[in-house]
Amino acid sequence: MTAPAETGGGPPALWDPIVRLTHWGLALVVLLNAAVTGEGDTAHVWVGYVGLALMAVRLVWGIVGPAEARFSAFPPSPRAALAHLADLAWGRPRAYPSHNPAGAMMAYALWAALAVTIGTGIAITGTGPGARADHDAAFARGDWSVLAHERPFVDDETGELLEDVHEMAANLVLVLVLIHVAGVALESRALGRNLLRPMLAGRRTPAGKP
Amino acid sequence: MSPRARPNHAGGRRPLALAGFVLLQALAAVFFLGDAAADVMAAGLSAHLMVEGVVALALVLGVVFGALELRQTLERMREQDIALASARGALGEVIAAQFAAWHLTPAEADVGLLALKGLDVAEIAAARNAAAGTVRAQLARIYAKAGVSGRAQFAAFFVEDLMGEGLPEPGPKAATAAPPGR
Repeated sequence: MTAPAETGGGPPALWDPIVRLTHWGLALVVLLNAAVTGEGDTAHVWVGYVGLALMAVRLVWGIVGPAEARFSAFPPSPRAALAHLADLAWGRPRAYPSHNPAGAMMAYALWAALAVTIGTGIAITGTGPGARADHDAAFARGDWSVLAHERPFVDDETGELLEDVHEMAANLVLVLVLIHVAGVALESRALGRNLLRPMLAGRRTPAGKP
Repeated sequence: MSPRARPNHAGGRRPLALAGFVLLQALAAVFFLGDAAADVMAAGLSAHLMVEGVVALALVLGVVFGALELRQTLERMREQDIALASARGALGEVIAAQFAAWHLTPAEADVGLLALKGLDVAEIAAARNAAAGTVRAQLARIYAKAGVSGRAQFAAFFVEDLMGEGLPEPGPKAATAAPPGR
């Protein structure tokens, strides 16, 4: 049975709400923590935890969600991704029911980079979203002993290593985001269909219509 | 067309709300679990933490069941869309088969379809680039062939099928459907 949200074997005319909310939620998290919140301040930590929750929901959705949102619909395959890029270069890409193979690799790469960023972030601040806030509150009360360590929850050597990895992974996320946006633009142009709109909103194509 | 598109659009809001709820629950679960983990690392297990553990479990289960519920809602909406499309297609087939059984000419079938869609004589004439008198004559022949008294009975002939016993099986069977015996 073909899902009516799909048109002509291409990607869905409208992604389901979890895919859309987690997509834009993570985009906002990346934007906030890259450009707005201060490095390592309390807001940065809270936004990071929001990112963790969004990732967790999307990954669960990859198992229990509808067909086109499931990992099985876009398995990671570097070879298929390269083949798709070659098709794209020749100007005749095929349409896929979920993410195209190159887009799929991008999704996994972004999730991996985000997972490393979030994981190291949590390790630096200590477990618990409130840890950093408690630390700051103690300082605000005048308990300056918390300043004895720049990173209160890990020893300095580990901390610096974690921070390096955190920063590298975060930069990788930004680079991947740029490639991702360029890829969507290129693919939209080659396929002659707007691939951004299904991720935003808009109406589903009425069933039975081509 | 536009009034038909509306239920689809309104139906799109419920999954969105459900998805928002799932995300909110996931946020709560992550923050709560993070906090509980920090407490365990700081103070070890205690009765208080056991309670927190139950709460955390409830939150996580809530997320998973919310996600499953959302998937079911989405699937149900898709099935309804498919059913609606096939019902529309089936009704179209029933009408075409019935017109053939009445031996309507292609022109009469066109006029009959437009009449079923609710166009009046002037509108049908305009749509077909014909004189109103021609259309009126065609309609009269259609009603005669169908054995109905007028437009209302003509439309009711097809609506009755829908109300009485649901949709008949689409396909050749419909062609043998008995003409009105009234």
